[in-house]
Amino acid sequence: MAVYEHSYKPYEGAQTPHWARFLVLPRYAYESVFKSKLAGGFFAFCYVCPLIMLILIYLHHNVSALAALRFNVADLIAIDANFFRFFVTFQGGLGFLFTVLVGPPLVSRDLANNALPLYLCRPFSRAEYVLGKMSVLLILLSAITWIPGLLLFGLQASLAGGGWLSANLWLAWAIVASSGVGIIVLSLLALTLSAWIKWRTAASGALFVLFTIPFGLGMLINGVFHTRWGHLINLDVLIQTVADGLFRQPNSMDFPPWMVLPLWAAWLTLGCLCAFCLLLLSRKVRAYEVVS
Amino acid sequence: MATKMASSDWSLWLRQIGAILRIEIKKNFWGRRALLIYLLAAVPVAFFAAMALWSETAADIRRGTESDIIFANIYEALLLRSIVFFGCAWVFMNLFRGEIVDKSLHYYFLAPLRREVLVAGKYVSGLVAACALFGMSALGSLLFFYAARGYLDNAQALLSNGRLGHALSYLGITLLGCFGYGAVFMFIGLFFRNPIIPGLLVYGWEWLNFLLPPVLKKISIVHYLHTLAPVPVPEGPLATVAETTPAWISVPSLLLFTTVVLVLAAVRIRRMEIRYGAE
Repeated sequence: MAVYEHSYKPYEGAQTPHWARFLVLPRYAYESVFKSKLAGGFFAFCYVCPLIMLILIYLHHNVSALAALRFNVADLIAIDANFFRFFVTFQGGLGFLFTVLVGPPLVSRDLANNALPLYLCRPFSRAEYVLGKMSVLLILLSAITWIPGLLLFGLQASLAGGGWLSANLWLAWAIVASSGVGIIVLSLLALTLSAWIKWRTAASGALFVLFTIPFGLGMLINGVFHTRWGHLINLDVLIQTVADGLFRQPNSMDFPPWMVLPLWAAWLTLGCLCAFCLLLLSRKVRAYEVVS
Repeated sequence: MATKMASSDWSLWLRQIGAILRIEIKKNFWGRRALLIYLLAAVPVAFFAAMALWSETAADIRRGTESDIIFANIYEALLLRSIVFFGCAWVFMNLFRGEIVDKSLHYYFLAPLRREVLVAGKYVSGLVAACALFGMSALGSLLFFYAARGYLDNAQALLSNGRLGHALSYLGITLLGCFGYGAVFMFIGLFFRNPIIPGLLVYGWEWLNFLLPPVLKKISIVHYLHTLAPVPVPEGPLATVAETTPAWISVPSLLLFTTVVLVLAAVRIRRMEIRYGAE
């Protein structure tokens, strides 16, 4: 075809609906995430605990299986708030390790290779970019935390009957909300570190250090200064305190009473942290950067 | 003739190490990446300063006979196992990985310089930065901790109660920690494209050291550093009891271990090829 016959023609194919454009990013991100055998293997490993808990729930309601295994129902762990709380905490820990593996390269690759203009020159806003990158983690972490948690809850409800469901419906909300808080905090932290530390290994390390050093330091501050406010720098305790409130289990970490952080302080600190992460992300996620 | 050539080689290598040192020290102390190390090193000093300024804890330190044990516990948990560990991870992994991220390692590789000399120069530069910052952090922590006891008490204790020896021991342990962890993290930074997993494994191994059987305990850096502590720190009820390694074995063992790791790093770097795109 002669060159003069080339002229501008707008794209006439089907367009992705505006509300779903951010989902294009996770679609491509999952390809690179699961290319890594380590990430794939670890993701599969995250289903071991739900599987064991599923078997435990099944055994509770299957008298013949219990008789065959020579178990007494009383010997099995009770299926109550503690059971689901353990599940949320354990899966949350695995989710943290998974985020350390998967989260840091999400934004850093685009920034290190100056790829952001390629995203943002399309009908795609900065907010959609952040939401899209965040949804990579949101979806994967949901798949190993509250979704299997709700499935376990549903199985228990179906086996135990309507009475149990109506009495424990609040547990379903507690599972979703406490997992959700952890997921949002982790995702925002991972994206912020990924955007500000362009070296993905350093970003993974920083995410790990953000949870470990403040944990020890917060405990030391509390112990030495006889205060509870050292927990404010301790992300793990903040998330657990919020979960305590949702699961109606005050002080599940068995701190002395003077060391228990008020629930409002945990919510407020996590809220401020998320807002700070969003502010840092909005400063870094730009199509161009002026370097002086 | 051969002796003369060997001595000229050594003098050349030493000059080259000096040149690398001059470049790297600027990066290690004044580069953007150094900011994190300053922050890390400042954490224990700020903590002990707050302890000295907080009237209640200062009174506890003045009054208490167990202040040495308090310091020993905080030193080991905060400074040695967290700050020195992560600080060394950052400084020493950055020596080569940082150059790869900045796409500048080929400048060193193109220079007429033996790669083993590059490893030695980089290691010494990291060591200077880590030892200076974390050594000062340990001494600053001691200064603020004992400042709460008052000048006269301190002067008396330093001269008569052997606290000067304690202070030197803590400084020595910190420096030995920098030697050992530095070599390990430089090795990891050279061998692994993604050093986070081996780094986490080393962290887990060092933290769970107290649970390990006595033989395995000895395959760790923290075991030797722990046995060198001037005030013994209890490891908790779950700890397995292992025979204390005397200082005359601990110190040479750590130095020997560092040398072996550096030799392995030198062997590795001889065959190293740079692929910036893969990073």
